[in-house]
Amino acid sequence: MSVTGETVAAEQKQRKSVLTRFTRPALGIILPLLLALGWELAVRAGFSTGRLVPPPSVIFSTFAELAKTGELQRHALATLGRVAAGFGIGVAVGTLLGAITGYSVLVRSFIDPSLQALRAIPSIAWVPLFILWLGIFEASKVTLIAVGVFFPVYLGVMGAVMSVDRKIVEVGRAFRLSGAQMVRRILLPAVLPSYVIALRSGLGLGWMFVVAAEFMGASEGLGFLLVDGQQLGKPAQIVAAIVAFALIGKITDWIIVCLTAPFLRWEDRARSGES
Amino acid sequence: MLELQNLSKTYPNGVRALDGISLSVGAGEIVAIVGSSGCGKSTLLRAISGLDRPSRGRVLLDGESVTSPHEKIGIVFQEPRLLPWLSVAGNVGFGLEDRPRVERNERVVKAMMRVGLADKAAVWPRELSGGQAQRVAIARALVPRPEVLLLDEPFSALDAFTRIDLQDHLLDLWADLLPTLILVTHDVDEAIVLADRIFVMRPRPGRMFEEIDARLERPRDRQSAAFDHIKRRVLTSLDRSLDREPTINDRETKVSTGAALWW
Repeated sequence: MSVTGETVAAEQKQRKSVLTRFTRPALGIILPLLLALGWELAVRAGFSTGRLVPPPSVIFSTFAELAKTGELQRHALATLGRVAAGFGIGVAVGTLLGAITGYSVLVRSFIDPSLQALRAIPSIAWVPLFILWLGIFEASKVTLIAVGVFFPVYLGVMGAVMSVDRKIVEVGRAFRLSGAQMVRRILLPAVLPSYVIALRSGLGLGWMFVVAAEFMGASEGLGFLLVDGQQLGKPAQIVAAIVAFALIGKITDWIIVCLTAPFLRWEDRARSGES
Repeated sequence: MLELQNLSKTYPNGVRALDGISLSVGAGEIVAIVGSSGCGKSTLLRAISGLDRPSRGRVLLDGESVTSPHEKIGIVFQEPRLLPWLSVAGNVGFGLEDRPRVERNERVVKAMMRVGLADKAAVWPRELSGGQAQRVAIARALVPRPEVLLLDEPFSALDAFTRIDLQDHLLDLWADLLPTLILVTHDVDEAIVLADRIFVMRPRPGRMFEEIDARLERPRDRQSAAFDHIKRRVLTSLDRSLDREPTINDRETKVSTGAALWW
């Protein structure tokens, strides 16, 4: 009897979770939709000219126009390329240093204070120096993005390695795992959940810094579209670029989540459900 | 045959956890080690497992010195310590990574059936109850067929019914392969149900205090007079190991007082 009771409860729970999976995002979208619709109606009804705050229809047509001419794709690809390069470098260096400092107390007390001091500097403050050192072209932009990505990844990896459960490592020792086996079979899987979070916040900062990088002088990129829209008084173009940022940022984040999800199925549903 | 020769362990802070412990345990024998908390029971077990090294003395398994974790020695900890990212079957087969897949699967399936969890093979450890998780931990330790299995208070976190259930279960598994079992516990009943010999340790520094023969016929009746007799001997010995007046005389009520006080 208790068995049937349990399965009924489980079914109900499942049905409820299916329901919430679709209704929750739907709830969140109501407010922006209402605001957009309200603004559109307000402009149509003549309450505002919509010159500085373009209504959704104008933004959409600007977006479509940019996409049709291939302008949007060109700028988006340029930005994406910079983020990819900066993210790659930042993640590589952050992972390496984070793993070493997390593992070795000696190395940590040697280099972590310096890195923490550097972290306290707002990364944008490096811009003039990077331009002097690396010129105004790609190298300085990619470096700035890499610096932004580096810190959350470094901190995340270091913390994750430091907090690996000693008791589980001991299980590995009891089964006589070699150093490489210990890394592959115990440390990597133990670190992965925090690593994914570190990668995601690193990517978020990468997108933030690419805008700063493109503000400092670029002839293409979504950041260029923003500056261009400001200088030529085209607010719709600015908003279109912002929308493009939002879309691509969300998609790249989603790619990380999807690529790593198969390895994280063991995590408690409560934790993975909140992402 | 497992032999401990004059095993001593002094921690860097000067605490003498073990002092001159010598002991030999025959193949297939079950030995329980009891003692008040802080008497070095767990330190002793960790030294035998090779996870910690003794300051002095040696651990010999079949004449071979054990200085690091050994393939013929398995260990079960107080907590199951299952790897949360592996399925239950993956955990059970953890020590068989170097074997061919077919053999590994076969042995894992057999072990899962033996511990009565065949239907849980694909489940994540977090979905198991405490007793089930500890059974998986025992299966994981036994699958590589160790000659010696060390158990560090393996059932102390479980409720009384599950504990009795798992004690019986452990004896079943032991009867299959007849490994040497060395069990650290502070549950006197558990020691008497399982062990052939019970060693009482005394603290500061950790020393062997008394050896008590508990070779009752199996399966053991927890209500029998013989069981009760051994229990009184163990409890008295524990009291004396703490330099305390024996609290046990022939009156039944005093037994429970002693049982409540010694740890």
